[in-house]
Amino acid sequence: MSRLLQDHFDRWHVLVLLLAVFGAAALLLTAGGGGDAAARSELNRQLEQDVAYRARIDFLQDLYRPVLDLEKSGARQQALLKLEEISRRYPGEGYGFIIKGRILLQLDAVEEAVANYVDGVRLNGDFADRQGPFSAWNEINQLVSRQLPSFSERARTHPDNATLKRVLSNLHYLQSRLAGGCE
Amino acid sequence: MPVFDRHFWIVVVAGGLLGLIGVGLAVLGNPQNSGICISCFLENTAGALGLHGNQRMQYLRPELIGFVLGAVFSAAAGREFRSRGGSAPLLRFLSGVFLMIGCGVFIGCPIKLFLRLTAGDLTVLSGLAGLVVGVWFGLKGLAGGIHLGGGRQDPRGASGLWVPLFFLLLLVLLLLQPGFILFSTRGSGAQHAPLLFSLGAGLLLGGLAQRSRFCITGSVRDTFLMGRRTPLIWGLAAFILAAVGTNLAAGRFHPGFYGQPGAHLDYGWSFLGMLLVGWLSVLIGGCPFRQLIKAGEGDADAGLVVIGMLLGGGLVQAWGLAGTAAGVPLYGKVAVLVGLAFVAANSLLWRERVAEA
Repeated sequence: MSRLLQDHFDRWHVLVLLLAVFGAAALLLTAGGGGDAAARSELNRQLEQDVAYRARIDFLQDLYRPVLDLEKSGARQQALLKLEEISRRYPGEGYGFIIKGRILLQLDAVEEAVANYVDGVRLNGDFADRQGPFSAWNEINQLVSRQLPSFSERARTHPDNATLKRVLSNLHYLQSRLAGGCE
Repeated sequence: MPVFDRHFWIVVVAGGLLGLIGVGLAVLGNPQNSGICISCFLENTAGALGLHGNQRMQYLRPELIGFVLGAVFSAAAGREFRSRGGSAPLLRFLSGVFLMIGCGVFIGCPIKLFLRLTAGDLTVLSGLAGLVVGVWFGLKGLAGGIHLGGGRQDPRGASGLWVPLFFLLLLVLLLLQPGFILFSTRGSGAQHAPLLFSLGAGLLLGGLAQRSRFCITGSVRDTFLMGRRTPLIWGLAAFILAAVGTNLAAGRFHPGFYGQPGAHLDYGWSFLGMLLVGWLSVLIGGCPFRQLIKAGEGDADAGLVVIGMLLGGGLVQAWGLAGTAAGVPLYGKVAVLVGLAFVAANSLLWRERVAEA
């Protein structure tokens, strides 16, 4: 320690170091009681991120409400047309693909339904989460567990059928996403 | 097999606990097959610090902090903390970036490779082959005269302290959670074991890894060199056995190629990604895990690799280079090839050639 305080140069630098450390600590300790101004000026990216996410949820629910209403009333074709209209305006939004997949599945268009679920999950992994406002985990899981055995068998018996191969590959993709993991 | 050697048993215990805790952390809440994954955790950490915008991959993983600080405590207790560094700094920094690219394309570091394998994920076999070939390439390079220069002892300075201090700062940020640090509320970043358990596990494994020098690529490298005589291969065996046993006990062993968590079927790119990781790891002296441990021992060169890995984690996510269940994106493939070119070029540039008579 004495070697650190040999001359004025050392003592000056140690003083600056201590002032800086204690000053920073004091700022941090007093910031909690700093009143509204301090709270407003605080950099809060987490809050911004959470607000943007909530706003997105509300916006999407509003945006797709007419489609969901049409689907509930049984007007599936009209719902699909409305989805097309929305997707032209927001082509990067995956929720439309998930809803379209669900409607196509109700119409027994399994291959197209699978492709739409894949597009939706690729655009946003939230749909393959078990929880969350837009979780489609249960419906995708049911789709995969029902369709995978039959498409595996059909692809095995028709190895040259490119369509079957593509659907099987899509089902395997969904199966992997449902399994989770870090990606 | 040197069974009466104390070091042998430290390595075996370290390997066994790494397998047990690696699976245990996933059981307690970490993402499936990612109980311990240095590259995924660095991507999470980079996200928490705002280096990328993937809101599903943001968390200050306590395990990483534990690894470094555990190594600090262990090195200090064993009087092995030595501040050292100064060899090929920029090369090591960029190597850290490319290590993360290789891991990102494969989806996981060498530890996760074995955790995935021991959970039955057979898609990793190509990555395993790539890792082994990469280590062999690295060894051939070392034998051919590639030498990055030894880190010099740093008696007056304290450059080796800065990475441990940075991880100490991360611990403070994790505990205080100020508003500028981001934490995922969904996706794999939101999946985590209880904080204190993760931190404790990291400290324990960090300390043991420092004492044992356990390293996945080091195990493969030493096996090439010494066969069964190296303790590291027995540590790796203990790791695999413990992980398989824990996966079986937890009902998490599902052998197959399809439906595996965090996996893809682009076998060629898995091979090349891990080849890059294995090759680089041998040249810079250890896999991503070992770099963290060495940084905790005061090795500023390893510390620079760690900082490179942190930046690499940010870039992999921000530029969308990482593999997903859908496969490896185009720019991820390009990045791996650039990484291989980087290693090859540096192998040429750093080779010490004996003047011909």
